[in-house]
Amino acid sequence: MSGVLLFLVGVLTLAGIYAILAMILNLEAGWAGMWDLGLAGLVAVGGYVFIITTQQTHDDVVIAPGWPIWAGVIAGSVAGGIVALVIGIPSLRVRGEYFLITTLAFAEVIRQLSINLGSVTRGTVGFNQFSRPFDSWVSGSGYRWLLLGLVWLVVLIVNLVMRRLGRSPYGRLLRGFRDNDPVARSLGKHTNKHRIQTFVFAGLMYGAVAPLYVWFIRTVTPSLFTSEVTFVTWTALVIGGIASMRGPVIGALILLIVTEAAALVQGLGEMAVVLASVRFIVLGIVLIVVMRFRPEGLASEREAFASASGRLQQ
Amino acid sequence: MQNVIFGLVTGSILAIASVGLSMIRQTEGFINIAHGQLLTLGAFLGYTFVSTLEMNIFLAGLLSMLLVGILGALLAVIVFRPVAKSGPLAQLFTSIGLAYLLFGLIRVVFGANVTFFPTGFGTRFDLGPVNITVGEILIVVVAAVVVGLLALFLTQTRLGTWIRATASNPELAQLRGIPVNRVSHAVWFVASALAGLAGVMVGLIGNVHSELGWTQTLIILAAAVLGGLGSIYGVLASGLLLGLAMDLSALVIPTSYRTVVAFGVLILGLLLRPQGLFVRAGSREA
Repeated sequence: MSGVLLFLVGVLTLAGIYAILAMILNLEAGWAGMWDLGLAGLVAVGGYVFIITTQQTHDDVVIAPGWPIWAGVIAGSVAGGIVALVIGIPSLRVRGEYFLITTLAFAEVIRQLSINLGSVTRGTVGFNQFSRPFDSWVSGSGYRWLLLGLVWLVVLIVNLVMRRLGRSPYGRLLRGFRDNDPVARSLGKHTNKHRIQTFVFAGLMYGAVAPLYVWFIRTVTPSLFTSEVTFVTWTALVIGGIASMRGPVIGALILLIVTEAAALVQGLGEMAVVLASVRFIVLGIVLIVVMRFRPEGLASEREAFASASGRLQQ
Repeated sequence: MQNVIFGLVTGSILAIASVGLSMIRQTEGFINIAHGQLLTLGAFLGYTFVSTLEMNIFLAGLLSMLLVGILGALLAVIVFRPVAKSGPLAQLFTSIGLAYLLFGLIRVVFGANVTFFPTGFGTRFDLGPVNITVGEILIVVVAAVVVGLLALFLTQTRLGTWIRATASNPELAQLRGIPVNRVSHAVWFVASALAGLAGVMVGLIGNVHSELGWTQTLIILAAAVLGGLGSIYGVLASGLLLGLAMDLSALVIPTSYRTVVAFGVLILGLLLRPQGLFVRAGSREA
């Protein structure tokens, strides 16, 4: 019984992490119209910078300043923002699918670098010993509950921020130039500047939440940051409803519970490979079915902003 | 010199795989992420035909091509046709969903192990400064023949002309009475068959494993985008270019940076010529 309960806590924690990622993605892709397929790279930057700056011992890595946890989180966030700027300036010169592929390429470059720069990142071995916040307060399984609470607290905060941002004039501007760039420019808006701003802001946030993912998984290796992270986040967002308000959280919860349910029966042993593959089959079918029957997602943009425009008309 | 040979082989395979992707992009209007999984399927089918059913490699290759092609056309009707009205985002994500579905199914059916083609193509010839295997020569020759046939098909047959017309202007093509559904079936069949063939080739020079699709998808995308998605010859050329760049870079930097080089070339290419390397400045991408 307690095994199932702990498993459920794990699923909900992971769902919360993906909900946060999906909300950030919703800002840049849903509202600002930048279809970013490289978010896994920014999460990787945040995760690695956090783990490297908080390393206590030098063992076999060159850099180990041993900063406190809060400094590591800030460093990860700043690094995420800087890398987003570096990626964003060239990538935002191209549009649509070209942007998609360029960001995907950058994410893969980052992952390959994390494999190859062994003296800093410990290559494919990665890190598995590091400090987590409030580690001394609770022990063992109790920490899972603490992390669950921490993650969902962040979900709540990010959700409130996004609610404000989405309904603010800035959010309207983003959705405006997503739909019609020339009109926004003719009204004197520097759309490219705002795109870069939003992209960098998203980078800062990816970098900042990356440590949550790292604390949950408890290791840092290049295989954590494959494009699967990107695609799962996108799937959560698309299922929940792109450009909507509640969509990212709903989508992440549904997707993670459905796909991880397959892992629950994984304990049976021999069928391990088959069952591990079932996860992908379920993920694929969910995505295909939602696209077929409800392409706008479960919660739609129109519903999310209906009350706001209603007030405006009165 | 040896690396030029390697690059030529990698490039030929890449060109064949990317042409299919860009054909679908041109006529259907979206990037098919599941293309790489069709390639993996081709590799596994070819492997099964050769090793379990002890078929001749050419027969196995042809058969995998046909089967993957038919599957591609079927998937187009069952999976992609219904979402065509919902726009490019829905189509793109349907293809990502399909990629995961195929990936999972491939792992269930063929397992997650790494396997090798049991063919005798490994014997090396010494040709002065380089040596080359029979398999490598075959790959380059077959790739050249296939590209030639494809060019003939697209320029000399009625169906080929229809495909090019639909690619350049779908609405106009439909207005002029071109049967767009038939064109779409043909494109899916040809593109998927090419993916299947590329899969068998990848299997021949390397190994066959279930992750093949994901790694290949990224490089195929890079080649297709670098070539400008639109022009078939541009995509062919950039496929070859990427292959050469990846294998020649091995002379200067460690081979583990191969993919980094591929994407570096892509990023550079996009920055210098956002419309694609081999696209004339006038013909803008829609």
